[in-house]
Amino acid sequence: MNVTLRTKKRAYEFPCEKGERILYAALQAGVPAPYECASGTCGTCRARVKTGEIDELWEQAPGKSSIKPERAEFLMCQCTASSDIEILVPGNLAETTADSNPTAITGQLSNGERLTHDVMRFHVALDSTVAFAAGQFFVFQVDELDGYRAYSMTNYETSVSNLDFVVKKKLGGGFSERLFNGDLDGEKLTGFGPLGEATLRDDDQSDLLCMAGGSGIAGIMSILEAATSTNYFERNDCRGNVIFGVRTMDDIFFANELNAYVRSNSNRLSITIALSDQPVSSDSEGSIDFASGFVHDVASKLIATNEIADPQSSIAFIAGPPPMVDASIRLLLTEAKVPAGRIRYDKFN
Amino acid sequence: MTWKHVCGVDDIEPDTVKKFDVDGINIVLINLGDEFRALPPMCPHMEEDLAESGVCTGGMLTCTKHLWQWDLRTGTRQDPAEKDVLMYDVRCEDGKVMVSISEELKYEFEEEDDDDFEF
Repeated sequence: MNVTLRTKKRAYEFPCEKGERILYAALQAGVPAPYECASGTCGTCRARVKTGEIDELWEQAPGKSSIKPERAEFLMCQCTASSDIEILVPGNLAETTADSNPTAITGQLSNGERLTHDVMRFHVALDSTVAFAAGQFFVFQVDELDGYRAYSMTNYETSVSNLDFVVKKKLGGGFSERLFNGDLDGEKLTGFGPLGEATLRDDDQSDLLCMAGGSGIAGIMSILEAATSTNYFERNDCRGNVIFGVRTMDDIFFANELNAYVRSNSNRLSITIALSDQPVSSDSEGSIDFASGFVHDVASKLIATNEIADPQSSIAFIAGPPPMVDASIRLLLTEAKVPAGRIRYDKFN
Repeated sequence: MTWKHVCGVDDIEPDTVKKFDVDGINIVLINLGDEFRALPPMCPHMEEDLAESGVCTGGMLTCTKHLWQWDLRTGTRQDPAEKDVLMYDVRCEDGKVMVSISEELKYEFEEEDDDDFEF
């Protein structure tokens, strides 16, 4: 099938295989179609069918609350073309600056270690190598019926065939429950990526302010790995601050890895773990500090006491559940005076 | 032109975005500190409720959903915002905030036959 995607300014044409999601077909062809989650939750990839037929793959996609189906609007990440189609996309599309386009991948999933009672690692051995930017994510599906899930890589190398992830167990979350039960260990999967623009870029030179809630730390780990392996902080004579929010001491994971990043970046990286549901018993352990409160509360205190200096000149990365991301964006705009153009975020629904 | 009394000048803290129903027309009123602005209640991008998603600081309104921004003092949009915000005229007199609402201002996506998909 052929897709013609029109914006006010221009038209793009690209092929779409049977069963292929229109968003993925567009991105694979280098068309800078708008998206955020690429997995049906955010509604950013809305478009309208002008001519032709589409098939919807997930009727209950939460992102549909942003569209008007009665006016032929649809989510490009949740629909395939069943004929040649012409679709309309609102707004102007930013031309892509990526070196390569995301692509469909296949691989094999394996379980990793259990990190807390409800967080575990998993790994995907790809059948080919990929390059991605620190902070990006892939979408995966094990069964076609299951749909795609988005996960940020925790590792970083310029070219890899092994991707590392963390997953939080969710009640009624079919994929995470099956992972925790060991049912998916060794399973073949298909995926698409790399995706996402909340990345550390080659021309970045500023302080980094990273705010993560729960498993949102995944992409931040990749950014810390990239920054450490490229000597980012010393090379640019700048600093990094990470605030990682979990509920209680028992919910902390990656403590060893975070300690190692602090030691490797002598005096240039500070990491604070924010406990939302438990008072802290000691202010620090190893090279990591502890504080009580939500991530944005702790960030506010660190900014007020100048422990995070010049936040307005930092590049801010935020990843976590939507309420945490929203509260953090609000804090960065108002108290920290970080320009919106320096805020990069992922919301995981 | 119909001037409507919306609230007192002290009813909204500076840098606050607050929703009002003015005779059946919803607006958000924003206190810039020394001036007020009155807008339709949703972001022109994806119809987010600005009373929830709007953050105002230093005269700049940001919708936290996708970080579209507008300088409310001049009315100019900032990159990456692609649409201007619509504004009602506002004046303050005798401690009251008065907004000129003769008809509801609507963004293109609210119109039946002329929206942001039609081009």
